[in-house]
Amino acid sequence: MTLEDVVEALNLDVRAGASELDREVEGGYVSDLLSDVIAGAREGDLWVTLQLHQNIVAVAFLNNLAGIVIVGGREPDPDTLEKAEDQGVPIMVTAMPTYELAGKLYEMGIRRRADA
Amino acid sequence: MTTQEITKVQELIYTTRVETVMATNVVVVDPSMTMGEVKRLMQEKRISGAPVMRGDTMVGIVSMTDVLDVTEQGLLGDPVTRHMTREVKTILKDSSVLEAVSNLDRQGFARLPVVDQNGRLVGIVTTGTMIRALLREMDISFQKKEAEKLQSYRARHIFQDIVSDDTSVILRFVVAEKDFDNAGKAASAIKKSLQRLGVIPSIVRRVAVAVYEAEMNLVIHTDVGGVITVDVRSRRIKINAVDHGPGIEDVVKVLQPGYSTAPEWIRDMGFGAGMGLANIKRCADVMKLLSGPGSGTRLDIEFLLDNDGSGGRMDASKKT
Amino acid sequence: MTIREVIEVLSGQILVDNHELDNDVPMGGAADLMSDVLAFGTEGMVLMTGLTNPQTVRTAEMAGIEVVVFVRDKTPPPETIALARDLGITLIRTGYTMYEACGRLYNAGLPGRGLVKIENNSW
Repeated sequence: MTLEDVVEALNLDVRAGASELDREVEGGYVSDLLSDVIAGAREGDLWVTLQLHQNIVAVAFLNNLAGIVIVGGREPDPDTLEKAEDQGVPIMVTAMPTYELAGKLYEMGIRRRADA
Repeated sequence: MTTQEITKVQELIYTTRVETVMATNVVVVDPSMTMGEVKRLMQEKRISGAPVMRGDTMVGIVSMTDVLDVTEQGLLGDPVTRHMTREVKTILKDSSVLEAVSNLDRQGFARLPVVDQNGRLVGIVTTGTMIRALLREMDISFQKKEAEKLQSYRARHIFQDIVSDDTSVILRFVVAEKDFDNAGKAASAIKKSLQRLGVIPSIVRRVAVAVYEAEMNLVIHTDVGGVITVDVRSRRIKINAVDHGPGIEDVVKVLQPGYSTAPEWIRDMGFGAGMGLANIKRCADVMKLLSGPGSGTRLDIEFLLDNDGSGGRMDASKKT
Repeated sequence: MTIREVIEVLSGQILVDNHELDNDVPMGGAADLMSDVLAFGTEGMVLMTGLTNPQTVRTAEMAGIEVVVFVRDKTPPPETIALARDLGITLIRTGYTMYEACGRLYNAGLPGRGLVKIENNSW
């Protein structure tokens, strides 16, 4: 499933990296702790978080994550968006809380075989 | 306990079937296990005994007493089959609780495996599982709430019983800097006190959240700690958190959600995401923040107890 | 959904047992940032989190949350366990990631709290 499919199905708003939506989403990862994401997320994961801090872009970029979805109706700082656009890291936002977004992604079949 | 309640207990003991008071997730032991393994299993699952099962057949039962005996003798390497009790007294799932009670009581068994008509193990019953089930039946939680109400009765009536032009209860808490282990204790105590004083739960929750955030700020951002004072009156609660710490450079900026000066280790603990003051503001009816670099910080927040349309918020505070 | 079902769905393990397993939990939520839990946490919610320090339990207490699930097999320190016992909060541990844990519970029918705008632009 591509990022674009996910964006459409769940009605996410794209805030940065719109040209990168053809990326394949291979799994999901939920965390608000950067160190935890660095340790636990895998390449191709779509990262769900409440963090707005611009460091999220570097973490997603360095770990080759498919993109970042910021939940709870929050808006990332302009700095964060600029950096994301620069590095080609897609950032989406939604009013859904973490739990439901993760639930819906999982329901759509975004799950790794090893996890299931 | 009133006569009526005793009757209720008696009735339950006669009429309730073992099936409804047993634990169904029975931890069982395999005959191949050693006593040492049984010991670990019991500690891990926090149980004091378990049936020994070869496939679907119960071949014995082993208890913590057995484990203690072999521990003393240094025989933890022995197979469980050498020390288990082989003659197991069981009880049918359709039996009455009365029967279970008398078996446990008179025969000195601490637990009885429960079986169905075909002799298959379906659960286990101990005095503990029975008491819990019976208490549940009696809706003990309801009574607990009643008891709590009674306890807080006196506190709640302070605003009626003590006559003055304006009575206030003042609670003061000293918060130590960088003491993460105790952070939140003041908020916890304030929450309990307000419950005692009869403040309605929705307001107690708002106060608790706001005070907790304020307390975390003192812990995280000061190097000298601070003091939280709560002033409870019949119609409003005023709280201030004062410290003589480094103060705030930019009071406007610090109020922006997401703005944070917290170090990384604080963030790794799930704090310092720059939402604290926003949370306080959201919870409180009035908030004021005074600070300057080098001059400490004072946070004043206020909660109105009777402005949300549902009448006086201190249950016993209404004047007649 | 009952606490028992939550444990089953997550292949979880009870660390501190303060509730009847047949008690109902109305909804689920997930976060690592405690301020967020304070902002969106609601009474009775099952909170999934990757943080195991005692403040997680304190935060749950303030937000009225009674059941906390630690994800990724994280074992809390003894202080966390002791505080949870004191405050009547049930602790569960699961080997799943936060994503998997949310996915499984949501799929099994435990709802979330619905769309929320965490009001961060109100000033």
